[in-house]
This record gives sequence, structure tokens and C-alpha cells, in this order.
Amino acid sequence: MQVVKLFLKEANKIPIEADNINPDNFAGKTEEEIKAILVWYGNGQYPFGDFFNVEVEGRDSVENTKLVFEGDVSRVKRIGQNMSAGEIEINGNVDMHCGFGMKGGKIIINGNADSWLGCEMTDGEIILNGNASYYVGSGYRGEACGMRGGKITINGNARDYLGEHMCGGEILVKGNVGLLPAISNNGGKIVIEGNATMPANEMKSGTVIIKGEVSDLLPSYKEEGTVEVEGVIYRKFVGDVNVGGKGVLLIKRT
Amino acid sequence: MSEILIKNASVCDPVQGINCETMDICIKDGKIVESVSSNAKVIDAEGRLTMAGGFDGHTHSAGKINVGRFINPNDARKNPVPGLSGQVARTEKTRAQVGYNTPNTYAIGYRYAKLGYTTICEAAIPLLAARHTHEEFKEIPILDKMGLSLFGSNWQVMEYIRDKEPEKLAAYVAWGLRASRGYGIKIVNPGGGEAWGWGKNVSGLYDPVPNFDVTPAEILMSLAEVNERLKLPHSVHVHCNNLGKPGNYATTIETMKLFEKIKLSRDRQALHVTHVQFNAYAGTSWRNFETGAPMVADYVNGADHLTFDLGQVIFGPAVTMTADGPVEYANARMLHEKWSNQDVELEDASGVVPLFYSPKSFVNAVQWAIGLELALLVKDPWKVMFTTDSPNGGSFVNYPEAFTYLMSAKRREEVISGFSNMALDRMVLPGIDRELDFYELAIMTRSTQSKMYSRPEKGNLKAGSDADIAIYDIIPGQIDPSTEYVKVKKAFSGAAYTLKDGEIVVKDGEIEATPKGRIYWVNAKVPSPIDSAMQKDIDIKFRKYYTVSKANYMVEDVYLQKPVEIATEGVF
Ligand SMILES: [Zn+2]
Repeated sequence: MQVVKLFLKEANKIPIEADNINPDNFAGKTEEEIKAILVWYGNGQYPFGDFFNVEVEGRDSVENTKLVFEGDVSRVKRIGQNMSAGEIEINGNVDMHCGFGMKGGKIIINGNADSWLGCEMTDGEIILNGNASYYVGSGYRGEACGMRGGKITINGNARDYLGEHMCGGEILVKGNVGLLPAISNNGGKIVIEGNATMPANEMKSGTVIIKGEVSDLLPSYKEEGTVEVEGVIYRKFVGDVNVGGKGVLLIKRT
Repeated sequence: MSEILIKNASVCDPVQGINCETMDICIKDGKIVESVSSNAKVIDAEGRLTMAGGFDGHTHSAGKINVGRFINPNDARKNPVPGLSGQVARTEKTRAQVGYNTPNTYAIGYRYAKLGYTTICEAAIPLLAARHTHEEFKEIPILDKMGLSLFGSNWQVMEYIRDKEPEKLAAYVAWGLRASRGYGIKIVNPGGGEAWGWGKNVSGLYDPVPNFDVTPAEILMSLAEVNERLKLPHSVHVHCNNLGKPGNYATTIETMKLFEKIKLSRDRQALHVTHVQFNAYAGTSWRNFETGAPMVADYVNGADHLTFDLGQVIFGPAVTMTADGPVEYANARMLHEKWSNQDVELEDASGVVPLFYSPKSFVNAVQWAIGLELALLVKDPWKVMFTTDSPNGGSFVNYPEAFTYLMSAKRREEVISGFSNMALDRMVLPGIDRELDFYELAIMTRSTQSKMYSRPEKGNLKAGSDADIAIYDIIPGQIDPSTEYVKVKKAFSGAAYTLKDGEIVVKDGEIEATPKGRIYWVNAKVPSPIDSAMQKDIDIKFRKYYTVSKANYMVEDVYLQKPVEIATEGVF
């Protein structure tokens, strides 16, 4: 096992683009080597060690490498981008694009996450013990597919456009979500245990399960009786008929 | 005074009938000359293939392409042709680049220059939006530019045709070219843009345009007569009716035939038909869709009044952008794709839809074949201009790939081997063994353009011509393009040298310098009484309908970088 502990020296206002800060790039590296990794800060590149104190314990493969951010990194973007294995633990809030394009491994965030968490991820797992902002598990602007695989668990609330353009994988939200979750979806599964507004607009396929209250249910869904899932009875809706969709929207019967 | 001597160039210059002959080229002050002094800087071409700078006579590189950028922000990170696409950080010499089908303006200039191209013609300038086109022109480095102005669904044009006012029509076109700083008359789906304002289309040459009581055939003939009356340097440039519909090859041939009777006022074609691939479809539906290229090629082989370009399809992502509003609606519906639709007030329609050409789709495979069939079945390369209608059929950065299809039957066979039997049944390409040589390729990429746009100083290496020159890392005679197509593609993808007005802008495939290019525009003189009478009519249009005033409509001189005014004297 290799554990790399990271301490932000001083809170930064200008964001740090940490798109190469992941187990793939840290495994087998010494403290000095990790400190020397260049990250973008404003319009220039600087050694990672300029911003973080780094403590390395052990030396191991990517699968057995764990990064631990101790404290708030709410102005550090793209942590865990494209990671394929290993683990990242963030003990604080994290900035946008955490876990973007993640292919494997695990990210645990003990804090809140800013927008675009787990965008375009294809595998692996993200566990957020806090609230998420906009566009969890969605696609890059203009792309037809967002998240394609893996799982995101949010133990708090999420804001608007959760799982936009999602084509696979699973998102579980324990709390409430904002406007238009599962917009333009084409696959995958989203479970919302709290409330949601205007879910599954323009969904082509996929499953959305809502256990709380739904506001402004779209008129472009056909109701097809009820189904029972794990002992709970849901009203079943199919759509969005506006796009000839065959998606399934289940809303807990009250 | 700057002088350059290019030694040991294997020159391929069809305008002069020179076919890969080893010779020297002398350059003085940006022009090709007979001789230079002993002080001239020497470039040793070492026997490599040397042509005039490439000239893309139909590309969407300024104006509407910006709508493509809006609706495809994800294009910015696409990189299917490394070196000629994707995100490239700025360097000492170049600005940052992004994108593939809809790259930023700087990337357009750099990438064309890397391919050895030095001149482009933007295929569609809406008069009303011309200022934006010129703003983009200004930021496209290196290349000389010109653009074609849209007249085919314009209210004033159709009213003058209906009211039989040919002189005022000519005056209006001359004014429109001046207003938009355009180079020639573009006609897109004549009448269809106006019909689209009513949610309709025109179905053929004799289908009247709603509320105007003129037919597409009348629009075409009247504008062709104006074109000759004003002695414009280019012919009318026509995107035919029924584009993208099975069976449309008949409309295409019918359109071509109409122009047989046009009396020319200049030594050039009477008609240029654009991206004919999209207009050479046989069958009656997408189910029995098949190539119509043999019929179109057959007609073109017997005709001598026209030129055309291919609109070759490249497999992968593309972005369609056209003034043909109804076509884009059909595309968006059929493909469940994003759709941008624009109404250009009194002038035309416009739409943008991204799409993906897949070799597994039998329709796309046949489209791919049709472009090549047209190029190979038409015997005289002087009638053919190579284009992908970039980025409608695919981005121009794929030209080197497409050249290998034209030069190698073996390469075509490789691609065709991935097609379904159904696709193979609907095309004739597998039976064609013609392979173009460098001479014919030079005709389709430079020489035809020089003639069809009446730009004798472009597309050739004659003394007096602009010193726009491409040297490619190929030694003719030591390479067999029909088998060594990988080398051919590599060489055309990054010129050993590109010279623009005698300045080295590309060396070994990398940008060396980024001078500003010229803008060519046509100023056709019209007798002032006719012009004044026409102005009264358009004043009413501006007062009653336009959202802008006439004074704010004209593109001012300040928008033109290194303008070159081409003056003509109309016959009235
Ligand atoms: Zn075009």
C-alpha cells in the first residue's frame, strides 16, 4: 500500500487545475517526484509542491495507491480526472470536475463537491458525504453522452441537471435534487430518495426512481399502472414521448 | 526588394501544361518572375513536387461556421487528425488552436497553409450578416479570401424577376455585392429559402415560390443573365434544388441543361454546380437509394458550359451548414440531431446540423462513393474542383486522405472492403480503376479554380503570378501513389514549404510566419439612373421590413484587410 497525504499550504483564490493529480500519476513516486509534478495555476504551470505539503508512506502499484487530501480543497479542480484505479479521499470541500472521465478506482469526499462531479465517468465509484452542485455525472458541453458507467452515491442533496445526457452507470442521491434531473438521458439508472422537479425531460432510455415528492411532472409521460420494487409500490411512467423515448420513470405511490 | 530562387523543383503546373518537370522558380517582391539576381535567397527543392498554392473554391470557413461552433462546443476537443485538429497551445508564432470541423479562425489559416493551400472562397455570405463574415476573414491568417453572396431567395431579386426588370435586378445584385463585399452570386436551393419561411420547400425547377409567383428556373436564368450583364469574374454558383433527396440527380441534370443557352460575356463557365455529391442521388426513397453519379457524369462529359465540385464525404463527425433551411430541418428530424435554424429576414434561410458519416451506414457508404465516382467518371479534370464542402462532407483537414482515394484504387478497395453488400449494390465505384496522377490532382485543387474564378494570378506558376507555392515531400517518378498512399497522405498533410506572396509561411509542416491575406471583392459598375431607381425600391424594403437601416447594412472599408477591388463594367 502507498498512502500519499496532501496538505494545502495556503488557501488559494485562483483555482489550481489538478487534472494530473490521481493515483495513476502518483503510484511508485517519491515525495520529491510528486512535488515536482507541474499543475496549471492561472496562466502558468508550477510544481505541485509549491501549493501542497506531501507525505508519502510506502510505495506500490496504482491499484494500491491512496491519495488523502487533508482539509478544504474548494479551489482545486479536476482531482482524480481520468483515474483508472486506486483511491482518493478528500476530507473537505472540493472544486469542479472532480472525478471527470474516471475509468476506475474510488473517490470519497467528506465535504461538498462543486459542479460537474463524475462527468463522463465510465467506471469506478464516487461517494460524496455532503452536497453536490450542478451537472453531476453529466456530459461535456455539446456531447451526446455523459456518464457511461460506474456509480456515484450522494449522501446529501444535489442541484440542477443531475445526470444530464447520462448513457450508463448509476447515480444514487439520498437527499433532494433540483430542476431537471436525468435531462436528455439515454440509459443508466438514477435513484433519488428525496424530492425532484421536472424529472427526466427528453429521456430516451434509462430508469429514474424517485421516492420523494415530484413537482411539475412533465405531461409528456404515459402512465402505465404500478410496479413493485423491493417492497415499494411505484407509479410507472414511460417517455419522454416528445423524443420517442422508452425511458422508465418510477415515482413512489403516496 | 526580396528575391528567392527555388532550385530543382519538380514543377506540376497544368495552367502552363508543365507536368512534373525539374526547373527553377524565381520570385521577386511576392511575384513569380523570369529571373532573379545572384543575391536571391536559395531554396533547394531537391526534386520535390512543387505546385501553385492550393485554392479551395468552396468552403464554409467564415460566418455560418460560427453557429457550428456555438452548437458544437465539444468540437473544440475533437482530434481525429493529429497535427491538423484538436487543441494546440500557442507558440511564439501561432495562437492557440482548437477544434476539428469548426476550428477557431487562426487554426483555419494555419491548417490550410500546412496543406499547401493559400486561397479560400467562403461559399455563402448572407448580405445581412456579411459584416460578421468579414470580421472572421480578418482573423484568418495567411490566406487570401473571397466570398460568394446569397441571392437565390431574396425578395428584391424575386420581385424584379416577377416584374421583368432585368436592369434593376442587375443594379441590385451589383449593390448587394458591394454591400457584402462579395465576389460572386451564390444561389442556394433557389426559392426554397423563402418557401421555408412558410414551413415549405420548392420541389423542383418549375414549382412557384409562395407569394412571389416566380419559379426556381426563372431565378436561375435571371441571375445567370445578370451575371453575364455585369461581366462578373465567376459564374453563378449553384446549390441545386432537392439537395439530399433520393432521385435528385434528375433535378441536377435539368438545372445544368437550363444553362446551355446562356451567352457568356467572359471566358469562363456559365455555371458552377456545387457539392454535386449531395445532388447525385438515384432511387425514390432511402430504401432504394443508389448512386446517380453515372448519369450526372455522363451529362457533364457531353457538356462544355459548366464546372462542378465534389462535396466528398469523409467518414467521421461532420457539421452540415447551409442556407438550405428545409434540408437542415429534414436532417435534424431524420438523425435526431441538434438543429440551428435562422431566418435571414428578406434574404434567405439558414441551418446547421452536426452529423456522423459511418462506413457501416449503407447510405453514408454510397454517399462516400458518389463523390469519388463523380471525380473519376468525369473525363476532363478541368471541369472538376475537389472539395468536401468543408465541413458539410467533412473537414478540409482530410483533403490529404481524400487525395489518396483519388490516386489509388488499392486504397479505395481497402475502404470499400468494410462496406455491406447492400452498399456495394448501390454504387459503381468498385468497377472504376482510374487513378489520378499529380497533374490531374493539381488541376482539381488549383488550376480549375484559377480559371473558374478568373484569377489568372492564382493557381499557377507563370511569370507575373502571385508567388503562392507549395513544395511537398514527394519526388515524382520515385513514388507510386497507387501503392505508396501512406507517403502521399503524409506529404500532403504538411507541406515541406508553403510560400505566400514569396514569404515562407510553412516549413517542414510547421508554421513559420503568419502574414495577413487579401480580400477580393467585386465592384460592378451600373449606370447611375438605373442604380437610383433601384435604390428607391430598396429604401422601401429597409423602411418597411428590415431590422437594420441601409446605412448600417453596408460593410465599410475598415472591415477589409488588404482589399483588392475587382472592377467590372456592366452592359446596359
Ligand atoms: Zn457549401
